[in-house]
Amino acid sequence: MLDSIDKEILNRIQGDFPVSGDPYGDIGREVGIPADEVLDRVKRLKGDGIIRKVGPFFDAKRMGHKSTLCAVDVPEEKIEETADIISGYVEVTHNYLRLGHPNIWFTLIARDAGEIDRILAEISEKAGVGPIRNLPARKMFKIKVDLKLEKN
Amino acid sequence: MNEKDIEIIRALQNEEVYLTLDPFGEIARDLGMDKSKLLEAVNDLKERGAIRRFGAAITPHKAGFTSNAMVAWEVDEDMEEAAAGIMAAHPRVSHCYLRPPFEDFPYTLYTMTHANSPEDLDEILEEMSEKTGVKKRRVLKSVKEFKKSSPVYFP
Repeated sequence: MLDSIDKEILNRIQGDFPVSGDPYGDIGREVGIPADEVLDRVKRLKGDGIIRKVGPFFDAKRMGHKSTLCAVDVPEEKIEETADIISGYVEVTHNYLRLGHPNIWFTLIARDAGEIDRILAEISEKAGVGPIRNLPARKMFKIKVDLKLEKN
Repeated sequence: MNEKDIEIIRALQNEEVYLTLDPFGEIARDLGMDKSKLLEAVNDLKERGAIRRFGAAITPHKAGFTSNAMVAWEVDEDMEEAAAGIMAAHPRVSHCYLRPPFEDFPYTLYTMTHANSPEDLDEILEEMSEKTGVKKRRVLKSVKEFKKSSPVYFP
C-alpha cells in the first residue's frame, strides 16, 4: 500500500528527479522527512515494482536516433516464437500481444532508418511473418508518463 | 554529440546508481570528473533536449492505474492536428502521436491512456471523443507483455 508520503514522493520525482549534489535531501526538504528515509522509500517502491526505473529519459531524435512503432499480424501458432525473435533485439524496447489484427505491436529505436529496415527484414525472414508495418511518428504531441496519484 | 557527451550519457545509464544518496557524486567519480562539472554537463544535456526528463518511471498498473490502453483513432486529415493537441493535453494521456495509416487500418492518431478501472477508461475515452469530435477508434487492448525496457544508447 502507498501512504500519502509515498504518493507525494512519486508525484515529485516522476516529472523531475533533482539533478543536484543532494537529490534525496532536496526531495526530503519538500516532503518533510530526512534524505535517508526518502531513499529507503524509493528503494522499497523500486523493489515492489511500483517504480520501474529512476534515471534519465533521452529524446531519441535529439540523440540522433530513429524510433518507430511496428505492427505485424501473426497466426496463433507462431505468436510465441515470433515474439521471442522480436524481443531478442536490444533495439526493441516494448513488445505486446494485442487484441485484433494486427496482433503483435512493438517499438524500435535504432541509429538510423536503414538499421530499422534491416532489423525488420531480418525479423520477417527469421520468423516467416509479414508484412511488418513500420509506422514512424509523423508528428509527436506528447511523451510523458507523469500520472498524478491522488492522496487517500 | 561529442565524445565527452557520449561518455557521460553511457555513465548516466547505470540505473543502480540512482538508488544511492549521492548518485551524481558516484557517477562523477567513475568518470574522473568534478561533481560540479558533471552536474553542469547533465543540466546542459537537459537544456539541449537530449535528456527530455530526469525522473522516475512508474509501472502504471502497480500504482493503481489498472486499465491502460493504446487507442488508435480515425481522424480526418484537416482535423488531426487540433484533435491530437486536445488529446495530448489530457492528464491521463501519456503518449500522443500521428502515424501513417496502412491497408485496412485507417487509424492515424495514437494515444496511451491510463485509468483506474475499465469504467474510468471508457469515461476518459468518451471525454476525449466528445472534446475532439473524433468518433471512430480501435482500443488495442494488450493481452500479453513480452518486453518492456529502456533503450540503450551508445552500448
